[in-house]
Amino acid sequence: MSGAAATRRLSPTLLVGLGILGLFALAALAAPVIAPYDPIYQEATARLQPPSFAHPFGTDNFGRDILSRIIFGARVDLQMAAIGVFFPFVIGTFIGALAGFFGGLVDAVLMRLIDIILAFPFLVLMLSIIAILGPGLSSFYIAMALVGWVSYARLIRAQILVLKTADYAVAAVSLGFSKPRVLFRHLLPNAVAGSVVFCMSDAVLVLLSGAAISYLGLGVQPPTAEWGIMVAEGQAFLSQAWWITLFPGLSIVVLAFGFSLIGDALGEMMGVHE
Amino acid sequence: MSATPAPDPLLSVRDLTVTVRGEAGERTLIDGVSLDLAKGEILGLVGESGSGKSLLCRALVRLLPSRALAIAGGSVRLAGRELTTASTAEMEAVRGGAIGMIFQNPSSHLDPVMRVGDQISEGVIFHRKLDRVAARAEAVAIMEQVGFTDPARQYSNYPHEFSGGMRQRAMIAVALACDPDILIADEPTTALDVTIQAQILRLLMELRERRGLSIILITHDLGVVAQTCDRIAVMRQGGVVETGAKRQILTSPQHPYTRALIASHPSMPVDYEASEVDDQASQADQAQPFAPAPTPPLAPRPLVEIDDLQVRYPVGGGVFTRRRFFSALAGVSLQIMPGETVGIVGESGSGKSTLARAMLGLSPISDGHVTFDGDSLRLTPAATLARMRREAAMVFQDPFNSLNPRFTIGETLAEVLRVHGKVAPSAIPARVEELLRLVELDPALAVRRPRQLSGGQCQRAGIARALAVDPRLIVADECVAALDVTIQAQIVDLFRRLVATMDLTLVFIAHDLAIVRHLCQRVVVMHHGRIVEEGPCAEVFARPREAYTAALIAAIPDIDPDRRLLMPPASVLSS
Repeated sequence: MSGAAATRRLSPTLLVGLGILGLFALAALAAPVIAPYDPIYQEATARLQPPSFAHPFGTDNFGRDILSRIIFGARVDLQMAAIGVFFPFVIGTFIGALAGFFGGLVDAVLMRLIDIILAFPFLVLMLSIIAILGPGLSSFYIAMALVGWVSYARLIRAQILVLKTADYAVAAVSLGFSKPRVLFRHLLPNAVAGSVVFCMSDAVLVLLSGAAISYLGLGVQPPTAEWGIMVAEGQAFLSQAWWITLFPGLSIVVLAFGFSLIGDALGEMMGVHE
Repeated sequence: MSATPAPDPLLSVRDLTVTVRGEAGERTLIDGVSLDLAKGEILGLVGESGSGKSLLCRALVRLLPSRALAIAGGSVRLAGRELTTASTAEMEAVRGGAIGMIFQNPSSHLDPVMRVGDQISEGVIFHRKLDRVAARAEAVAIMEQVGFTDPARQYSNYPHEFSGGMRQRAMIAVALACDPDILIADEPTTALDVTIQAQILRLLMELRERRGLSIILITHDLGVVAQTCDRIAVMRQGGVVETGAKRQILTSPQHPYTRALIASHPSMPVDYEASEVDDQASQADQAQPFAPAPTPPLAPRPLVEIDDLQVRYPVGGGVFTRRRFFSALAGVSLQIMPGETVGIVGESGSGKSTLARAMLGLSPISDGHVTFDGDSLRLTPAATLARMRREAAMVFQDPFNSLNPRFTIGETLAEVLRVHGKVAPSAIPARVEELLRLVELDPALAVRRPRQLSGGQCQRAGIARALAVDPRLIVADECVAALDVTIQAQIVDLFRRLVATMDLTLVFIAHDLAIVRHLCQRVVVMHHGRIVEEGPCAEVFARPREAYTAALIAAIPDIDPDRRLLMPPASVLSS
């Protein structure tokens, strides 16, 4: 019993997930060192080259090396996933906790706000916010933060509603602990497990919507290497040069897979499925 | 290890072993258990939680709760037929058909979206191959047998329309529908109030008489066993430590564990022998047995004074309909003197927990007054609450749920000390250790989290947290209900020592009258949100004035098999 913390071994699922994420993170950090070419250098003589020893993933219609672009693209995409999840998570957790804990008017107002946001299709709302702010990555982050917190708020609120009637919460109140202490020290740490797991699947969603936004030309601007743009640019040449689209698409899938593996393993570890 | 086998056992279990495959290899959960069950016999399977009682019974019908579990050896013979090697199809005919099961919690074992009658006739149709009309007639007949008052109408009701006791009757009807030879009853009355428990036990005994049913009754309550069973098997850590006839086990237990189990049963002393079983608290009352109910106040001012307290909750009611209210407390008045130990008893829904929470300002008061040491919660809420938080503490029912699962025991205690600021920060670790010693916990356990502790240890930690406030008043809400009997006895002893050595007022809420009888000086009996009777423990239990109190006392299954379970007056139960 005493070694319960030590016996909690890391599951293979988590290790594989972390391995995938680590690989991409490493590629992003060491991009200038390991990328064989400059990602935006256009080699006029080597357009639409199929995969070869010189260009393992081939080249695109401007003669840019796909592998180098994917490696540099990892920087942008990982950053998108991280920032695109972080702000909704923080905002949603805070608002959800307040709504669940205080209930009454606070809860009613916040929940109606959430209903309004949910009434719009996700992508349409994102696109309109980005359209107002102007295209670019920072607009994407702001739009994500404004729209994405809703799911976190609902998750946390539901948890807090259950937990605030738990005996240890009543005990904390009966011992004279202040409201912020009860909420943030006792309830919230027990409530976030589900959201942390959701974070990982949300990262996949953010990644895909980031790619979609860039694909529509509202996110990352060319010639910056980003997987979504690369898929978009390759689309015109799909019948002649499948590799332009396939490899960045595959990167998105593999990274998304890594995130979901981590999410599953975290869920198991934190006992979310119990 | 088995007792003398009955001439022709209906069910015969030999060396049954169940193992679990885990990361650390195989572990044995049921270790070579041998049992016999004769026709028409009631066998009591007694043991504490985790002793393998329920698992054993599931193994009999090969319904093991997890794939990691497997029957590793031994045999189960039902009327000469081997069950451990029977095919799946054969087992399906045995389950329900020959061996019926009922469980502790009837609400979770009845289908909530299916009419009760249909759940009964389903088994009739499957096992006895009757058509729908005949099955319905049969189901109505069975419902009548198990005590439904208007079975033809109640056939079409859903489980949520019944009370807990009626649901348990419905469960029994479902089990009986297939006309089994053996009924396995897994803690059938644990979730029920004592008066309802008495009815259900009586029903089981009647069914045995009428149908020649054999029953395996799993329970942790020796009183239940003493009142109903013919033979007893005591289980501990997956093995049967002792089996034998009821009287033999209860009067001359051989195994030390059985002796400990019997010793910790909080039996109700009969009034004339009260003095020899009871503690010094009630001996004081014995001197003046006919004294008027409340003891004359020695201190000038009661610590807690409750005056016509009402707590109402809104139930239903929408925008257009008038809101209706449920009265959890309908005018309760009570005085608690400093240093007093007061027990509050009553069945579930009687409002005792609501009273406890309202007393500490934890649930809103609709009407009336709560005064804590002269400060009124109604007139000066902020100041009174602040005082209550510093001078009163609560101990909860569920020992695991009442401690924050993310904090170690030491962190939990240290936080209370830090927030209250009565102890200098540098002295906190020493005080934590002192508190743990006070509740007889090893200070080395301070680094553990609640999940790494047993229920009893958690409850001690919960008491230590209450003591960390340095309270004048402790309100303990059903704080031993979730614990095994031997642990219950230890916790009650701990409370008694704490009250004796510290200047502490204790309000002890329980549904178990026997425990209150042992611990408290004064008892308050609640029913439907009102106080029906109050007075010194010895007197209330010896000479209850109210019919309800008498019924409550009579319904407690006594460990002495010769003191039959009395049937309380029907008028009280139907109210």
